[in-house]
Amino acid sequence: MNDAESSTDATDRLLLQRMAAGDRVALATLYRSYHGRLCRFLSRLTRRADVIEEVINDCFWIAWQKAGDFRGDSRVSTWIMGIAYRCGLKALRQHGDEPVDDNIPEDRVPATDPEEDRELRDWLGKGLERLSADQRAVVELVYGEGHTLDDVATIMQCPVGTVKARLFHARVKLRNVLPTLAERSLTVKEQAP
Amino acid sequence: MTMLPTYSSQDCPRAWEMMPWVLQQSATQEQSEWLTQHLAQCAACRAEFAQQSRLKQAMSLPSDVHVDMEAGLQRLLGRLDAPVQQEPQPLRARSGGWLMRALAAAVLIQAIGIGALGLKVWSSGGNTAYRTLSQEPSTPATAGAIRVVPDAGMTLADWNALLHSLQLQVVGGPNDVGAYTVAPSASTPKTQDTVQQLRAARGVRLAEPVTGTP
Repeated sequence: MNDAESSTDATDRLLLQRMAAGDRVALATLYRSYHGRLCRFLSRLTRRADVIEEVINDCFWIAWQKAGDFRGDSRVSTWIMGIAYRCGLKALRQHGDEPVDDNIPEDRVPATDPEEDRELRDWLGKGLERLSADQRAVVELVYGEGHTLDDVATIMQCPVGTVKARLFHARVKLRNVLPTLAERSLTVKEQAP
Repeated sequence: MTMLPTYSSQDCPRAWEMMPWVLQQSATQEQSEWLTQHLAQCAACRAEFAQQSRLKQAMSLPSDVHVDMEAGLQRLLGRLDAPVQQEPQPLRARSGGWLMRALAAAVLIQAIGIGALGLKVWSSGGNTAYRTLSQEPSTPATAGAIRVVPDAGMTLADWNALLHSLQLQVVGGPNDVGAYTVAPSASTPKTQDTVQQLRAARGVRLAEPVTGTP
């Protein structure tokens, strides 16, 4: 854990202590702090905005109830991501395991999204749709969130060996799919007037 | 079909495993330097590392699914104020479903079995094929049968003579009260006349036709 991560974790622990005492301002602060990364993490599991909001609120409702039980065995971010992961899996069981939708409606794409980012999203989306929900979660936690193997094992409540296996198979699938797509994209671009 | 990566040297698996941690800067300085040296010599791992870098860049983009943060927060705060809030049901609630269904199926099978057994007992109840030893044998009444109680002082010779004169023969008895059942040996019985003659005879205390089972 570097200095910036230590500082953030210390702040999060203070917020949890205040939440345990019933401080709703602390809850709102933590909610806003984690909303962006939780949205991205959960968007790897489902494309439905209503389900993502439901899972985030379930996650923080549990965090509110259990704030006093946090023992500090892991970083607060690892603890919260673990709760969100389990709530996300539950939502998948209730709403169905929807594949990642690569046909994103125009109104759902950020207006400020540069062309390069849009191509990158498309490239990534076609790769992720070949992965299982667990593999997508591992890839997001490692490449998107920057969690270590131990963190991911804590979040997913499984052995480190299982995380390694999921990451390996996800990388092999992406390696086999993504270069082809990149070449296709290039070919289409070259043919375009 | 999934194709496993092909390694050009024995260092490639180590490089392959190290890439994510170097990219997220959680690898040690020594590990990062080792990977840099390996990439300088291995074109395959260099291409893979470039692909991994692009993957990390793509994964770092913000979510493209718009979720209204403030609206969601207000809904959460409203949920805290709700009088009865149930924690999301534990995962085992779903796994208990199959157990409940299995138990219900077992109870149903038992109920069907008990019902079939009851039906069989009920259907065979009307055809009693046995009787107790204390039951009277259900012998059909002989045509023209008469119950006769002779006087205690009547001799056997008088009794035999009486029966012979009326063409009667003993078909049952004597029972507990000393009554005999007699029936005409002739083919066409005249029960009423015979009863009258018996009643008129000496030494007969009682003569009554057997009309059926009392």
